[in-house]
Amino acid sequence: MKTQKTTKATYQVPVGPIHPALKEPVMFEFEIDGERIVDVDVSLGHVHRSVEWASRRRNSVQVLYLAERICGICSYCHPIAFARAVENAVGIEVPDRGEYLRIIHGELERMCSHMLWAGVAAHEVGFDSVLFLTWQMREKLLDLTEYLTGNRITKGITMIGGVRRDITKDMFPKIFETLNFFKDNFEKLRHVFLDDKTFKLRCQGAGILTYEDALKLCAVGPTTRASGVKKDVRVDQPYFAYSDLDIDYITPDALTGEINGDVYDRIIQRLLEVKQSIDIMEQTIDKMPSGEIVAEPKIPKLLSTLKKAEGEGIGLHEAPRGEVIHYVKLEAGSDNPYTWKVRAPTYNNILPWIPMLKGEQIADIPIVAASTDPCMSCTNRVTIVDKEKKYMLNKEQLHRKSVEKTRRMMK
Amino acid sequence: MAKGLPKSFKKSLWVYHCNSGSCNGCDIEIIAALCPRYDVERFGIKLVGSPRHADALLITGPVTRQLVDKVKRIYDQIPDPKVVICVGNCGNTGDVFYESYNLVGPIDNVIPVDMHVIGCPPRPEAIINAVAKAWVKLETLEAK
Amino acid sequence: MTDTKVLDANSVVKSFKEEFKTKIKESKIEKRSAGIKKIEYYHIWMKIDRSIFKKSIKHLCGIQFPHLAVVSGNDLGKTIELIYHFSLNHGHKNKVVSLNISVEIPKSNPTIETICDYIPGALVTEREKQEMLGVIVKGIPDSRRLFLPNDFPKNVYPWRRDEKGLDKMIRNLHEVKK
Repeated sequence: MKTQKTTKATYQVPVGPIHPALKEPVMFEFEIDGERIVDVDVSLGHVHRSVEWASRRRNSVQVLYLAERICGICSYCHPIAFARAVENAVGIEVPDRGEYLRIIHGELERMCSHMLWAGVAAHEVGFDSVLFLTWQMREKLLDLTEYLTGNRITKGITMIGGVRRDITKDMFPKIFETLNFFKDNFEKLRHVFLDDKTFKLRCQGAGILTYEDALKLCAVGPTTRASGVKKDVRVDQPYFAYSDLDIDYITPDALTGEINGDVYDRIIQRLLEVKQSIDIMEQTIDKMPSGEIVAEPKIPKLLSTLKKAEGEGIGLHEAPRGEVIHYVKLEAGSDNPYTWKVRAPTYNNILPWIPMLKGEQIADIPIVAASTDPCMSCTNRVTIVDKEKKYMLNKEQLHRKSVEKTRRMMK
Repeated sequence: MAKGLPKSFKKSLWVYHCNSGSCNGCDIEIIAALCPRYDVERFGIKLVGSPRHADALLITGPVTRQLVDKVKRIYDQIPDPKVVICVGNCGNTGDVFYESYNLVGPIDNVIPVDMHVIGCPPRPEAIINAVAKAWVKLETLEAK
Repeated sequence: MTDTKVLDANSVVKSFKEEFKTKIKESKIEKRSAGIKKIEYYHIWMKIDRSIFKKSIKHLCGIQFPHLAVVSGNDLGKTIELIYHFSLNHGHKNKVVSLNISVEIPKSNPTIETICDYIPGALVTEREKQEMLGVIVKGIPDSRRLFLPNDFPKNVYPWRRDEKGLDKMIRNLHEVKK
């Protein structure tokens, strides 16, 4: 990742692990020449809590609860990918109603996560009032989550073979009320983000990721779709019941007609995905079949089936940040999985930071890094290292630089 | 606010938030406490960007080995009198990560803690309750 | 945007078998279906010999540039098994095929060649295998530690189940000190 040494004196800027801009410990060291970034080094690891190793000492149902706490923002996608991997390894068939219910929870989580991201991105540019607006809208989604599952963040709704709680007909009016609220306010959200002159000035042309780079570096999620690469697990593979619904790949040219791969395109991408999620949820509720919600309701019987089972399987899911893949290997005669491998989406989206940040100004670092929606606790740390001289720039200074640039552009 | 608080507060509480390896669930609930639904900003509580300006430290997460020194350094940078509020089960006991080889331990092992908030993640109401009680403690510490 | 041709699972396996014949130790195609309409999707599992590993990746890139999801690893006693999870046919609705290529390497000589020159996105996952399993990746552009701290003991590999594993480092965070 390091290029050849430059002859001009360049500064090394370590942006330490604990900083107010990103909510997670991430260390960046940039090599800068004046205000331009010359090279970027990435290092990971401040949130490494040895989750995969811990799974060897727990049985499969306990691992579901461990998987939920890998990341608080994507706390649904990890248990569901693990459950899919176990079901593929053993051959458990999930009943149809269970598959449809899983879609509803997944799309709800996607909307919550994109709203959260929208607030954080606006905060990086300097618009705190947009942060409050989007998080206020997000509170309505969290109310709905609490109504359906019992908790706001760590839901605990997944079980191997289905879901734990049903959504009955008398719960539908509340879901429709929330979806209608979002449909009415979508235009307001779109206007705030896309019609604002300052957003356009800051974000257009910044942090470009080309189609070829996105393909070669195996980027995933909205980051890669905003560059034009059509990779979306929901459309690629028929899982849950997505194959019954009418969905297609979404890329920014649906709204603007062209694809640039910059930060502005990523904002468009995520707003369009929120709209798509509302549409998917309505289709799902419309077509929901009746029946069982879980393949095996009695947990001791499920555990004894898993104890005798042997095999390996992979489970894929489209999380709000991209493709999540889990690999599980089960061994006959043991309660605990033999091997569990978790790969969160931000893992693949780290290497694209390098072409995105080269040539940018320091003040653009927060907005470019936030536009890929990194979730460090899923990935375990990233540090970017550079060479030559060192001086510390902490998070507050970086954030302040970003806000000052916005104020300068507004004049 | 809670009953029994002294009638006049000399200053508003400024809080510094530090994440020492958590899953972000608690951090999201801390930020949600600042947003218009729960709105602690109306009491003057705000998040600051540097520990040197802060009165209280909100710390989440089980402390990973890589971050032990940094947490200690941040604690030293906050001027006295100060309170430390530990949010979430990870910082209190280790939660589901109790056997991990990469964790130094509950935050108690690293810096002295005044207030523990339990929950995974705790609701914003619980966090506000803890901050209010910490405020009372801070006022009594200041009086000394 | 170049549109890739759709490859079905059988033709992929056939192309590998024709090229490498006996060095493909085992291959299996799993079929699953989902939803009310029961549309099918395929997972291919192939075991190959270490000697043709790099050539087979080159062959795969020649058929169609794959998407590398992750590399997972198993400790099987005397050998370490590395499984490369690829997927093909992106951009075509309901037609993506998952290809899982597994390679076994002996613990006495745990080396494997890097694929970063064909697929640059493999750097992060190869670095992780080096520190977690003790595999040596030949030709990797950057071999620093990824997740573990720099002061972690040198010969301890967390995913191994033998004497180089972690048994001595387990803690118990919520024990109460009297």
